[in-house]
Amino acid sequence: MLDAQHGAAPVASVRDLKVYFQTKRGIVHAVDGVSFDIRDGETLGLVGETGCGKSVTGRSFLRLLPVPPGIQAGGSVMFNGHAVCAACAGVGCGACGSTGRQAGRDSSVDLLGISSEDMRRIRGDRIAMIFQDPGKALNPTLPIGAQIAEVFFQHRTEELIALAGLPADTAGAIRRFASQSPRFGDGWLLALPGARAQRRQVEAALAKMVASALAETQVPNPVKLMARYPHELSGGMRQRVMIAQALACNPDLLIADEPTTALDVTVEARILELIRDLQQRRKTSVLYISHDLSLVRRISDRVAVMYAGRIVEIGATAEIFANPRHPYTRGLMAAAPSADTPRGKLAAIRGTVPELVDPPSACRFLGRCPHEAGACRSNDPALQVVAPGHSVACFIDHPAPSGERPTYDRVTA
Amino acid sequence: MTDVQQTRIAAGAMTADTAFRVRMRRLFGVLQGMASNPATVIGLVVIALMLVMAIFAPWILEPNSPDPYQMPRDWGAVRKPPGTPGHPLGTTNEGGDVLYGVIWGSRTSLQLSLMVVGSTMIVGTIVGSIAGLVGGWVDEVLMRLVDVFLSIPELIFALAIAAVLGPSFGNIILALAVVLWVKYARIMRAQVLQIKQHDFVDAARVIGDTKLNIYLRDILPNAVTPVTVQATLDMGNVVLIGATLSFIGLSEAGIAEWGVLVSEGQAGIASGRWWASTFPGLMIFLWALAFNLVGDGLRDALDPRTEGR
Amino acid sequence: MQLRDYILRRLMVLPVLIIGVSIVVFTLTRIGGSPVGIYLSHEMTPDEVAEIEARFNLDKPVWVQYIYWIRGIAMGDFGWSGVAAAPVADVFPLKLAATMELAFASGLVALFLGIALGTYAGARRNRLPDHLTRIVAVSGASLPQFWFGILLLIIFWAHIGIAPIGRSDAAIFASIAHPTGLYTIDAILAGSPTALWDAIWHLVLPSITLGYGATAIVARMMRSALVEELQQDYVDAARAKGLAERIVLKRHARRNALVPTVTVIGLTFGFLLQGTITVEIIYRWPGLGRWMADSVLRGDQATLMTYVLFTSVLFLVVNLIVDLVYANLDRRVTLGK
Repeated sequence: MLDAQHGAAPVASVRDLKVYFQTKRGIVHAVDGVSFDIRDGETLGLVGETGCGKSVTGRSFLRLLPVPPGIQAGGSVMFNGHAVCAACAGVGCGACGSTGRQAGRDSSVDLLGISSEDMRRIRGDRIAMIFQDPGKALNPTLPIGAQIAEVFFQHRTEELIALAGLPADTAGAIRRFASQSPRFGDGWLLALPGARAQRRQVEAALAKMVASALAETQVPNPVKLMARYPHELSGGMRQRVMIAQALACNPDLLIADEPTTALDVTVEARILELIRDLQQRRKTSVLYISHDLSLVRRISDRVAVMYAGRIVEIGATAEIFANPRHPYTRGLMAAAPSADTPRGKLAAIRGTVPELVDPPSACRFLGRCPHEAGACRSNDPALQVVAPGHSVACFIDHPAPSGERPTYDRVTA
Repeated sequence: MTDVQQTRIAAGAMTADTAFRVRMRRLFGVLQGMASNPATVIGLVVIALMLVMAIFAPWILEPNSPDPYQMPRDWGAVRKPPGTPGHPLGTTNEGGDVLYGVIWGSRTSLQLSLMVVGSTMIVGTIVGSIAGLVGGWVDEVLMRLVDVFLSIPELIFALAIAAVLGPSFGNIILALAVVLWVKYARIMRAQVLQIKQHDFVDAARVIGDTKLNIYLRDILPNAVTPVTVQATLDMGNVVLIGATLSFIGLSEAGIAEWGVLVSEGQAGIASGRWWASTFPGLMIFLWALAFNLVGDGLRDALDPRTEGR
Repeated sequence: MQLRDYILRRLMVLPVLIIGVSIVVFTLTRIGGSPVGIYLSHEMTPDEVAEIEARFNLDKPVWVQYIYWIRGIAMGDFGWSGVAAAPVADVFPLKLAATMELAFASGLVALFLGIALGTYAGARRNRLPDHLTRIVAVSGASLPQFWFGILLLIIFWAHIGIAPIGRSDAAIFASIAHPTGLYTIDAILAGSPTALWDAIWHLVLPSITLGYGATAIVARMMRSALVEELQQDYVDAARAKGLAERIVLKRHARRNALVPTVTVIGLTFGFLLQGTITVEIIYRWPGLGRWMADSVLRGDQATLMTYVLFTSVLFLVVNLIVDLVYANLDRRVTLGK
């Protein structure tokens, strides 16, 4: 086990995840045997270049791949969600510190193996996702409020009915309304005098829940915002709406897929702060996907570096930045500007990410690596522990089965 | 000359040089894309069969004299069902051989579509190019004219023109040409305006190319694509509208044209003589279908957005 | 650009286009020769001909004649129809009602059927229902309506003998009043189920003939719009919220796909309008289309001019409304050129 030394069970464990894509040129191994854990309450940064498979890895948690041509080729994603707080049934109360969860585990499930109906119940409730471009991830024809309301309809029907002051055994058209599963003719039923009043109560309760979810993200005037359409908002506001929507049900795990890439730098800082703040208050675990190393350094407890469908280095943020081992990680750090980079010292990694059609049994960084040696051409390095909590997939730190071993001293042209 | 200008010239020369190669590669990709779509292949096969039929009509069935485009009348065998010796597809009320109409009708349709599409493409391309290149009030006047033409539904416009000119197949060709050129003018103008903004056209201008040269070398080849798609779709569409006008009665009676034959056969259906309308109509359908399939396939293959769809 | 400016500009262009169309129509009919022919007979002397020409202002310059024509239209005088043997303005409303009843019946069916078919196919991309819908779509655009109609008549009228021809049964027609000219509405107003059934029964085959192509247009547009929408991020985002696929499809993807589909309503309307000509000929439907076809063959210029002008104006107005609705619906649309 990679994280055996860590006591508590992780919130999610990815083991040997493989995702392939069928294309005209052959089968692309987009994610090819990825394993890592996300610990309770931590932020794990997943870094890599475009096309390295980091987004696909993130989406695998929710099984959000286009079914053909995306193929779940193997592996597992175990999810160990927290048990729901007994005192408040997940709404958030004093007993659980407004997290809606209590200590201890719910049953653990393999997200790749459960039925689509079970998957649907986890999506948005236990695991939520924020997308790269909030302008595209919000439905342009629905008001903000209606979009967030859907999460509550889907996962908080009981609370909605309770908050509306209706009996728990409310059934028929009203319950169908509160769970967004209308049947043909419900429109007329709900227009009847008695039902209309009840529907109003549910709507009022819903508005309250949506407004409080929005208020969490520190937007000004949440009630007014609910009636606005996405195109009327700024990028930063839209992302706040996305975050409010994602965190509405107090998920155990938040997948943040480059949530600030489409935003201005000034807005970016505030969104990061918001995610960090909400995450710490609610003890949500976060998988933060980004191509920006300096950004990941700011927000993550641990970092996983991905290259060509594999994790090449993983460890605590401080450790990785203090002592990067993999040549690719080192290359990324040299390529990223920071305050103390001297002028003209920025080094790009030569070459581009290789095509992932039928990858050979060799190191994937071959051809771009400055230190490659004989061993790298005939063997495929696996992740191995180099220091407590720090693993690297490179022959520099552990011997190859055969061939000449690479060293940092030797620079290959 | 400044540095910036020099680099732009270099870029211009390079893009103009590689443009041809890029275009050829894209053409190859388009052909590949079309070949991988079964519907397009079916369309191409049907078109090929129609063309063979039209070209070799005089060898397949002896031409009627004096005018081969006039239906031959066998007064000894009127209203015969399919399978009658000498008339495999039966005969019409006036003893016209349905098979003769079907085969020679393909020749008529080919003439119609080639003449209409050819002339509208040329006129539309010229008008659209002038509007796009000259701009200003010329553009304004031409485009308002195009707008007015597009305001009248196609078939109704063509019907009105053909009606004024008098019933004849030649007038149907003329009417369709008058109505349909506007589409090409629109496409061409949009293309010119779009391509005019590209860097390589700027670069060519800096080198000192004449406007005509830039137009012929950079703008026209790029505009070929959308015009070709429209022309392919029109090859089918024109026969459809033309046959409709013939059916209404705007052709000379008795010519070997599918729409005329459907109209002739209509009178017999009450007495159970289904064949005289059915076969020629089927030909119109197949003709239009084939060109629509190929036109759609062409558009999909040319549109980078539809990749993998 | 503001929506209001866009609407204003479009409204200002409309009269210009209508005047343009009227000039084209007028010019066209004058190319065909002086319309004096229909008033003449062989025995008339040149003096009598001149007198008639003077009576109808045909001795004046062409542009003056145009002004007279427009002035007549403004006063409700559309000329004399030789085919109907009555003033065009008298016959027009009745024929229009017949055509509109047919076009609306076909259009409504096409719209609902097309949207349903397009949604069904788009959600099952590259599977059997999708391929079948594509066949319907392409064949609908290639099918000669006059031939399709004749095929249906051969089968259901000549062969099986269940389908009627015309617009109503003569006895049933005489049994109720016809205040609107739309026979289905008239039957409902008169409270006569027999008449309603008769009206609908006569509508079935013509509507199928006319509606097939229109359904194809709508289905095709709806399919491609839905396929486009299903690839958008917000669809995945909706799934990530835990919504059922049914809700993702109906509330999210289809809702957005309907927006571009609105744009084909104008196209479909033009298609239906043109289609009425042949469909009315085949089914002996006493509407504008058949009247126009007769007028064309018998040189009835007044009817021809009125018909072309009227259909164009209708076509323009429908397209304008569609564009405005679209601009209003699509909150992403960028107005202006």
